[in-house]
Amino acid sequence: MEFEFRRRDYGADHESHLLPRSRTQKHPLSSPIASRQHQMKTVRDNDPPDFFDPLRGLDVNASAEDKVEEEEEADTSLSTEAVTQELTKEWKSLKRILIQRFPVSKVISFSPISNVITKGFKVDTPSAQSHLEETGSEKTSLEETAKVIDQQEYLAKVRELIDGITKAWEAEDRVTSLKLSIKVTKLLMDTTVLQFYPTVFVVVTDMLDMVGDMVWERIKEKAEHDVDGTMICTLPNDFQASDICLEARETCYNWFCKVGSVRELLPRIYLELAILPCWRFLINQPREVLDRLVMMVRGLADPLASLYCRLYMVHRMRKLGFCRSGYLIKCVKDIEDVLAPILVGKDGCSCITDDKKLLFNLMEPAIEYIMKCLLLTGRQENNVLGILEELGFGRNKSQPSDNSSHVSILLHHLLKALPSEIVSSQAMEILHMIKCSNDCSFSQVLNYRLLGNRLCEGRSQEGFLSSLVNEIMQAASQYQTLYDYLRIMDAYVDLLLQNKMENHLDALLDALLDDIVTLARDKFLSEEEQASLQSIILKLLSHFEDLQKVLSLNHFIEILDLMSGTSKKSVNMHLLSMGTRNGCICDSTTVQLLFEVSQGLYDATDFVNIKDDDNRQTSHLISRFVEMVDYGAERERQLLFLAECRGAFSGIHELKETLVRSSNTLAVKAGKKHINFVKSCLAFSEVTIPSVTVPTKQINLYLETAEVALLGGLISHTDGLVMSAVECLEDVAPTDGLKSIDADSMASVVCNLCSLLVMVPGNPEKGVLEILKSIFSATCSSSWAMSRLKVKILCAIISLLSTLAQDNLPYRSANPEIIGNDLLFFGDSSYKNELVSWSQLVVGELVDAIEQESSQTARGNIALEACNCISSALVMNEKVSQLCSRLLETAKGCLGATDRYLEATKQSLHL
Amino acid sequence: MTTTTTVTVKLSRSNRIYRSSEPVEGKIVIKSPSSISHQAIRLSVNGSVNLQVRGGSAGVIESFYGVIKPIQIVKKTIQVRSSGRIPPGTTEIPFSVNLREPGESIAEKFYETFHGTNINIQYLLTADIPRGYLHKPLSATMEFIIESGRVDLPERPLPPEMVVFYITQDTQRHPLLPEIKTGGFRVTGKLATQCSLQDPLGGELTVEASSVPITSIDIHLLRVESIIVGERIVTETSLIQSTQIADGDVCRKMTLPIYVLLPRLLMCPSIFAGPFSVEFKVCITISFKSKLAKAQPKSDPTAPRLWMALERLPLELVRTKRDQFSC
Repeated sequence: MEFEFRRRDYGADHESHLLPRSRTQKHPLSSPIASRQHQMKTVRDNDPPDFFDPLRGLDVNASAEDKVEEEEEADTSLSTEAVTQELTKEWKSLKRILIQRFPVSKVISFSPISNVITKGFKVDTPSAQSHLEETGSEKTSLEETAKVIDQQEYLAKVRELIDGITKAWEAEDRVTSLKLSIKVTKLLMDTTVLQFYPTVFVVVTDMLDMVGDMVWERIKEKAEHDVDGTMICTLPNDFQASDICLEARETCYNWFCKVGSVRELLPRIYLELAILPCWRFLINQPREVLDRLVMMVRGLADPLASLYCRLYMVHRMRKLGFCRSGYLIKCVKDIEDVLAPILVGKDGCSCITDDKKLLFNLMEPAIEYIMKCLLLTGRQENNVLGILEELGFGRNKSQPSDNSSHVSILLHHLLKALPSEIVSSQAMEILHMIKCSNDCSFSQVLNYRLLGNRLCEGRSQEGFLSSLVNEIMQAASQYQTLYDYLRIMDAYVDLLLQNKMENHLDALLDALLDDIVTLARDKFLSEEEQASLQSIILKLLSHFEDLQKVLSLNHFIEILDLMSGTSKKSVNMHLLSMGTRNGCICDSTTVQLLFEVSQGLYDATDFVNIKDDDNRQTSHLISRFVEMVDYGAERERQLLFLAECRGAFSGIHELKETLVRSSNTLAVKAGKKHINFVKSCLAFSEVTIPSVTVPTKQINLYLETAEVALLGGLISHTDGLVMSAVECLEDVAPTDGLKSIDADSMASVVCNLCSLLVMVPGNPEKGVLEILKSIFSATCSSSWAMSRLKVKILCAIISLLSTLAQDNLPYRSANPEIIGNDLLFFGDSSYKNELVSWSQLVVGELVDAIEQESSQTARGNIALEACNCISSALVMNEKVSQLCSRLLETAKGCLGATDRYLEATKQSLHL
Repeated sequence: MTTTTTVTVKLSRSNRIYRSSEPVEGKIVIKSPSSISHQAIRLSVNGSVNLQVRGGSAGVIESFYGVIKPIQIVKKTIQVRSSGRIPPGTTEIPFSVNLREPGESIAEKFYETFHGTNINIQYLLTADIPRGYLHKPLSATMEFIIESGRVDLPERPLPPEMVVFYITQDTQRHPLLPEIKTGGFRVTGKLATQCSLQDPLGGELTVEASSVPITSIDIHLLRVESIIVGERIVTETSLIQSTQIADGDVCRKMTLPIYVLLPRLLMCPSIFAGPFSVEFKVCITISFKSKLAKAQPKSDPTAPRLWMALERLPLELVRTKRDQFSC
C-alpha cells in the first residue's frame, strides 16, 4: 500500500490552533506618573542602598518619602556624633595613607636626637637622678654625624620601647612608663628622617593615644573607687569636674605636672595632648588650656614637626570633645605663617626645589585632615561663612588693594573641604583668591581645576557664571601652555554644559576651541595633553544630542585631527556611536566624516589577531554606522558605498552580514522597476556572502538573498543562491567540530530552507526535487547532525513534501509573476508520485534515525515527534497506522505508558 | 609571712600635706610575726631648717665648716601607747599631733617644706618602739609636708603683676659674638613676677627680630639661697628646672606663651628670715645658632655665653588659698 498525502487546509488549521486574544488597556511595564516622579526623586536625593527595581515603583509607600525629606533637612547642619564618626574614620584612613603614601628607602639615616633608638631603653633607678635629669634634660651628645639604621630595625626598636611602656604600666611602675613615653615621643623631634617621618608619627601617636587612655582610665578608676577599692560612684558620660573627688583630681594634676616638667618643647606638647582629655577631671571649660596649646605649638620652628604636631592637636581636641572652629582657624593661620617664609626662599625667589616639593608632599595629608576637620566643625556649628571670613575671604572687598594671597596648598584643601553650596555662592571670591595665590606649594592650575569641579557639584547661580568662565579662560590662557589650559578648562566644560547658558554657550565654546587651536598650533600633542583634550571632547559629545551641532563648532574637525593614539580612538568611538544614535544618517558630509572616523578606528585596531570586548564594540559600531547610512533615492551611490566599506573594513566579520542585508534591503526598496539595480545588489550579495565564515550565517544570508531574488522575479538567481546554500550545507566539514548549539542552529537553518522551498518553483529540467534531494543526502551523510537533529530535519522534509502535494500552497512569493509549484504541476501525476516515493524514502530514514538515538528520553520524544509529523502529513491507511503504532511502542518503551506527550499523541491519532 | 617585724608611719592624707594649724593624723602600723612586748611607744615631730654651705660664694674657710647649726622649728614627743604587748599580725595605732601649742599664734615660724641645695626645710614624724635592752628598738620615720596655714592668705587669682621685658643686643652685659652684636635682635614679652605656688608661671614672649637664627628659647627657674655665716652672707643660685618654649628659629612677631608649672617641694613661698633667705628668679635664655655652641659642653645653661642672650627677672612666690585642685 502506497503513502497518500493528507489534504490540508492550512488557513483553517491556523484559526483553530490560535490562542484566544484580547486587547490590553495599558502597557504592562508602565506605572502611574506619580510613582515614577517619586522614584526619580529618591534616586537623586540619597543613593538608594540597594537596587531600585523599576518594575516595582508602585510598592513604595509614603513613609519612605517622609524619611527622604527628613534626611534632607538634617543635612544642612551636622550632628556632633556624625562629625565625630566621620573624623574617626578619616583619622584611621589618614594613618594608613601616612604609612603607605611615602616610599621609604630601606635604610634610614637619623640625627643624634633619636639616639634612643641606638641606646636602647635602660631606665636608671629614679632615686639616682636629680630632678633635672628626671625631667629629661639629658646631655645631648656631641656627635654630629647622622646614624644609619634599617627601617625594620628602627620600627622594631620603637615597638620594643612601646612594649616596655605597657609592661611598666602593668607593673604599676608609672614613672618608668612615662619616661619611656617621653623618650619615644622625642623621636618626633628628628625631622631629618623625612619620608619616614609620617610613619614615625603614626607609631608614636598610637603610643601616645594608648598612654592617654591608660591615664584616663586610671584617674577615672580613682574617681569611681576609694582607696580600698570600693565603688563610690559611676561617672556619667557628661560628668562635671565637681563630680570628681579630691584624690583623683590630685592624681590628675600630678600627671600634668610631670608632663609639664619635660624640658623639650615638642615632647612636652605631645604628652600634654596625649592626656588632654584628662583636663575634664579638673575643669569644665578648657578654653584657656586649648588657647595656650595652640600658641605653644608656635614654638616649634621646624615646619614639618609643627604641622604634624598641630595635626595631633586637632585629633586630641576632638577626643576631648572641645574642638571649636576658633582654635582650628588659629592653627590654620599659624600654618600659613610658618609656610610663608618657605615659599619665598632665602633669595626672595619662589622657585621650587626638590626639597621643598618633598616637604609639601609630606605636609599634604596633614593639611587635608586639618582642613576637613575645620570645615566639618564649621558645618556642625553652622558657621562656615564665619570661618571663611576669619580666613580672610571677602576682606578685599573693603580694601581692594589688600594682598589677599593665601598659601596655595591650604587654599586647595580648604576648597576641597568646603560644602558645595558655599563654593557656588562664593565662587567669584574663591576665584579671586586662587588668582592671588600662586606659589610653589601647590599648582595653581589644579586649584582652578578644583574650583571648576566643585562648582559642578552644586547648583550654581547662572548670573555670574559666564563672567566667571570668561575670567577663568583669561587666566587659563595666560599660562601659554596647552596642557595647563586644557586641564583648567576641562573642569569648566562640565559647568558650561550643565547650566545651559543658551546665549553664552556657543560664544564661550567657540572661544575655548579658538584658544586650543592657537595654543596647539604646529605641535605634537603629548599623552597628557591628548588625555585632557579627549576628556573635553567627550564631554562636548555627550552633551550635544546631534552630531551636526558638534561638527558645526569652530575648529572642531581641526582639533580632532590633533589627536592620535588611544585618545583618538576613544573620541572616534564616541563620535560613531553618537552619529548612529539618532536613526538614519543622510547627510553626505557626516557620512564622509564618520567613514573616515571608522577608517581611523579600523586602522587602529587589530581585528585579525585580537578578539576582545573592545574590538567587538568597535566592529559593532562600524557595522551599525554602515547600516544607518541612507542615501535615499541615490541607490547606486549607496551600493557603491557598501562596496567601499567592504573593501575598507575587510577584517570585520560582523560587517559582512550587515553589508549583505543592506544591499538586500536596497534591492527590495528598488523593486521590480529597477531590475538591473536589483541584479547589481544580488551580485554584490552573492560575492560578499562567501567571505562570511560562520556556515549557519552564510546559509541564512544565501536564503535571505534568494528570497529577495525571488521577490524580484529572478528565478534563476534564486535557484543559484539556494544551490549555493545547499552546497554550503554539504561543505560543512566534519572537521569543523560544530558545537551542539551550532548544530541546533544549523538544523533550524535547514528547516528555514525547507520553508523557502515551498515558494520556489521547481525546475523541470534539473528535476523538480533536485534541491530537496541534495538536502536529504547532505543531512543523511552529515557528521554534525545527531539523530535528534536529523529527525527534526527529516520531519521538515516530510512536511515540505506534504505541502508541495497540496492543490493550494499555504503561502507564495509576494511577486505575482512567480508561479508556485501548485500551479506549475497542477494535475501532474508524475510529480505527485515522485513526492510520494520520496516521502517513503524519507520515512524509512526517519525510522532508522530514531533507532540510532542513544538517550532513552530523547528517543521517546523524537519518536512521538515523528509520529505526529507523519500522521499530520499522511492519510492514515494501514501502512501508516502500522508505522505510527511502532513509533508509539518505541515511545512507550522509552518514556513509559503514562507520559503525557504520549497520551496526547495517542489522543490526536484517535488510537 | 615575713619573719621580721616592720613598723611604718601612715599619714591620713596621701599627699602628706598639712597646715601648721591642723593636727597631723595617721597611724603607726606594726606588722609582726609574733607577739612582742614593748615599752611606751612614742611619736616625735621634728621640724627644722638645715643650713649647709658649700661652693657658691662661700669661701674656703666657711665651706670647711660645712654644716651650720640647724634652726629648730618644732620638736615635741608624745606617747601614743604605754608599755605592753603587741599581738602577732598587723596592729594599727592611730595618732594625732598638734604642731602648735594651744595659744601659740605665730604661724610665721612654720616655714613651708623646701628642699634646696644649701637650705632644707623638713618636717619629720618618727615613731619609736623601745623594747628594753635585750631587743633592738623599732623605729620608723616619715616626712610630712607643711604648707602655710595662715588665715590671711590672698585669694586666687593673684592680681596680675606683669613685668614687661625687652631683650636686645644692648641689654646684654656679657660679650656676644660679633654677628649677633651687629645683626641685632629684639625679643619682647611679659612675665608674672608674683606668682601663686599653685598656679603656673605665666607670660608671653615674642621674637620681633633676629638676624642670626635662634636655636632655642628657654625659661629657667632658679632658686637663690642666702645664709648668714658669721658676718658674711653666703648666696648660692642654682637651677631648678628648664622649660623650652621655642625650638628652632621661630616665626618672627608670633606670640609664644610662657607656661611653667612650678615643681612641688623644690619651690616654696619666698622667705626672708633672719639667718637665711630663699628667693627665686626666672632666667630667660635665647640661644643663637653658632658653631661654638656645639663645641661647648652644656654645664650651666644659665651661664652667660657668647651665643646667648639672657634676662633675669625676680620671681616672688606666694601661697594662696587652696583652690579646687590644690596639691
